Amino acid sequence: MQTSFTAQQLARPEIAEADGILRTCVHYGFCTATCPTYVLFRDENDSPRGRIDLIRVMLEQGGAPDRKTVHHLDRCLSCLACVTTCAVKVDYAHLIDIARAHIETHFRRPLGDRLLRLMLAKTLPYPRRFGAALRLARLARPLAGLMPGRLGNLIALAGREQQTELVAPQVFAAEGQRRLRVLLHAGCVQQILDGEINAATIRVLTRHGCEVVVAKGAGCCGALPLHMGRAREGHALAQQTSAAWSAELAKGVDAIVVNTSGCGTAVKDYGHVLGGADANRIAALTRDVSEILDTLDLQVGCAKPYRVAYHDACSLQHGQRVTAPPRRILTKAGFDVVDLPEQHFCCGSAGTYNLLQPQIAQALGHRKAAHAESTDPDIIAAGNLGCMVQIGRYTHVPVLHTVSLIDWATGGPLPKALRGRHLREPRAKQIAPETPANTSPAPPSSDAGFW
Amino acid sequence: MSAIDEFFAAAEKALGASSINRSEETIRRYGEHTMPGNDKRPAGVIYPASTGDVQAVVRLANQHKVPLYPVSTGQNIGLGSRAAPREGQVVLDLGVKMNRILEVDEKLAFAVVEPGVSYQNLYDELVRRGNKLMLDVTSGPPQGGMIGNALDKGAGYTPYFDHFGISCGLEIVLGNGEVLRTGDGALDSETLANWHTSKYSFGPILDGIFAQSNYGIVTRMGIWLMPRPPAVRSFHFAFPDDADLEHIIDLCRPMKLSNFVPTLFRVSNDLYLCGSEGESLEYPASKGRKSISDEGRRALRQKHGLGAWTVSGAFYGPSMAALDPMIARTIDHFGQSGKAKYIAHEDAQHIGPLQVAINAFSGIPSLGELGLLKWRPGGGNLWFLPGTPMDGKIANAFQTICRAIYEEHGMDYMVMNVCGPRFARGLHVMTYNREDADERARADACYRKMSDAVSKRGVFVGRAPVDYHALHMAQAMPAYRDACQRIKGALDPANVIAPGRYGIG
Repeated sequence: MQTSFTAQQLARPEIAEADGILRTCVHYGFCTATCPTYVLFRDENDSPRGRIDLIRVMLEQGGAPDRKTVHHLDRCLSCLACVTTCAVKVDYAHLIDIARAHIETHFRRPLGDRLLRLMLAKTLPYPRRFGAALRLARLARPLAGLMPGRLGNLIALAGREQQTELVAPQVFAAEGQRRLRVLLHAGCVQQILDGEINAATIRVLTRHGCEVVVAKGAGCCGALPLHMGRAREGHALAQQTSAAWSAELAKGVDAIVVNTSGCGTAVKDYGHVLGGADANRIAALTRDVSEILDTLDLQVGCAKPYRVAYHDACSLQHGQRVTAPPRRILTKAGFDVVDLPEQHFCCGSAGTYNLLQPQIAQALGHRKAAHAESTDPDIIAAGNLGCMVQIGRYTHVPVLHTVSLIDWATGGPLPKALRGRHLREPRAKQIAPETPANTSPAPPSSDAGFW
Repeated sequence: MSAIDEFFAAAEKALGASSINRSEETIRRYGEHTMPGNDKRPAGVIYPASTGDVQAVVRLANQHKVPLYPVSTGQNIGLGSRAAPREGQVVLDLGVKMNRILEVDEKLAFAVVEPGVSYQNLYDELVRRGNKLMLDVTSGPPQGGMIGNALDKGAGYTPYFDHFGISCGLEIVLGNGEVLRTGDGALDSETLANWHTSKYSFGPILDGIFAQSNYGIVTRMGIWLMPRPPAVRSFHFAFPDDADLEHIIDLCRPMKLSNFVPTLFRVSNDLYLCGSEGESLEYPASKGRKSISDEGRRALRQKHGLGAWTVSGAFYGPSMAALDPMIARTIDHFGQSGKAKYIAHEDAQHIGPLQVAINAFSGIPSLGELGLLKWRPGGGNLWFLPGTPMDGKIANAFQTICRAIYEEHGMDYMVMNVCGPRFARGLHVMTYNREDADERARADACYRKMSDAVSKRGVFVGRAPVDYHALHMAQAMPAYRDACQRIKGALDPANVIAPGRYGIG
């Protein structure tokens, strides 16, 4: 794609970066077929290449963008399915971040929108504030139906059962001989909504010989404000967390483990966001928890072969390209892992998207839950809290984090989400796959009649 | 009100406003393609939701004399994308609302699909049902439409590779708005037991005239599926020299004639495989005026552990171990050449371009080969698809001719010969900078010169980019051209369905 930025514009690093990205887009259009909003609306402006055009015009013109541009860019989930599909690998992830930051700086949103975004940015990354906000929201829950649109939705979401468990900075010793020393990203929202994920992560890692360090001063990774266009706040949080981890790097760290894939994608990008040797090193050391467990020679799982529908969080499959390790470890743990139809499609969670664009998120959530249920699962597994919350809203099937299932299968307690639930007696597990090493499940022992 | 406005008003009344799209953005995008010629803006886009909708639109098109251009999922990159042969046609995008899998019969191993069903859609559905059945896929975009590919004579790599050949039973809206069922579906009955299981019952076999033609709009198709084997084990051989193609073809032929190897052979040159893994390192310096150097090709081969030609195929069986004797026999066979380097299945899984082949042999849609489209910048892409008899000398002679024409025009020679027992389709890729007027003109000239060169040696193309359909139809004998036009006149007398496509109408 041709661009026409002035030399003065190109002197700004973010415009120079955007220019480089924009020029790589050649409008093949493969992206449209996997873009959730294009599939829903069939509006070119709600497709990746349409948005790329809107971004080009917005940045070339400079100043305040028009409402139409903001409307269509706001509807982008940043799910990055387009990046996976794109034949020329346009770096849409960084382009949309630049665009969001431009909008945030130059566009004056309506008052209600501004307040909602301000509230989200000032509470979600801070566990104690978020916890307090949730308590307030729960008090208002009976009034949720009376609240206008997104606020009502927000309050309704707050009513979800939560398992707050804040992890204090400390070192968790490895069981037996220490094999690895890892930093755990304890996160922000996750600690309030589902502390079991961190607890299970610590248990399963220490059980497999990892010393787990929760570093003092590490907090939100910065992803939430960054993806809302609040670049300065996002960078500050990323810087703070990076600095806390840098202090630990000197003591020897084999990996930084992240168990919320949205955060993992952001931390793996610290080299780009923050720059510098430490940030690059942090990015290089960062692993999704499933990647680490995949290398640890997991204890043989004692799980019954419950049928687990594995949902690929966009941040894992498109952001980090991690698709095989979660399936491998769940299979090794003893579960019968099945794929969802349309696994490339976002569930609608997408960070704060389900709070800011509840109608689209709802449509996508229903769609994802229906696909998951169509596989007749006992359990739905995912590697990202946001997806778990989102899919859980639209299904009665229990939705668990992959690491909770691995912990359970290797000696940990029954996950809370399964307590009091009756799971049907599983069928015998299907035979092991001998088709290529991909993400597909094994062929069944009974096929169409010959093998 | 103009005729086209009257047509759209009537279509909106018949189908509803949500089925009509005339926005500037949409019209611009639907006119885009990757061929050297200019984009071709349609008059608008219509999204029918049923065969009845398609009939209604075709009747309105007859009434208002408006040309239609049906597409399924519009992923036909390199062959025309979603762009109509001529400006001002109305795109009938069947992929948006007609994307249902109508039936999967697991006992008789077939599926029935609408035009919007992609390879990924049906693959997902088969996996959801327990992965008992395998469909043949292309190595192109997973979101590509199965009906569109079959009707354009697209192909894959498994024993069910011939996508039109494994289709069975079509439903077609003809140019006059009538619905025709082919095969056993032609029976005038409410119950059609064999529509998607038997092609050849009473009467002429009409199916064939709807492949690569514009006589009707196919709205439903049966497609046969294969029981998924528990084990798929691939094998690969890298050969060091361009001229090794002659020996390779002669080695592949008996293995296919005997059906010892159940898949087709993928015989790919270095750039076809390595080109999907990165951009041309020489392009910035050559500005696309020269083909890549021999040193550059050697470096790529070394980097990826591949040959000037690399052969891939696969066996199916109950387990990997059960396939050991077949693999051993194949190694012996290719070992006769004294030049083949064997690459085992396990190693090939870690080589990107070979993983693409493994996925294709396994009926798994994948994105890997799309990387070819970024070999050069600027978004130009053309596919030239002639074929060769499975005779090593002839195949090698075609290589010499086409490679020289590529080099004469400063293009990078990328080709995969997909080999059956008697015939190999040569998938020639031309990735070029469409934003550079000179390179664009050279790509066009290169395509035309190759078309001319191979036709003089008795070779017709299989599929072709839309802008070259008229050129290729003009290469056919007069009686063939005349017959095609007469059929068009009989089935679509007002010439409303894709006039110009395949050089007809």
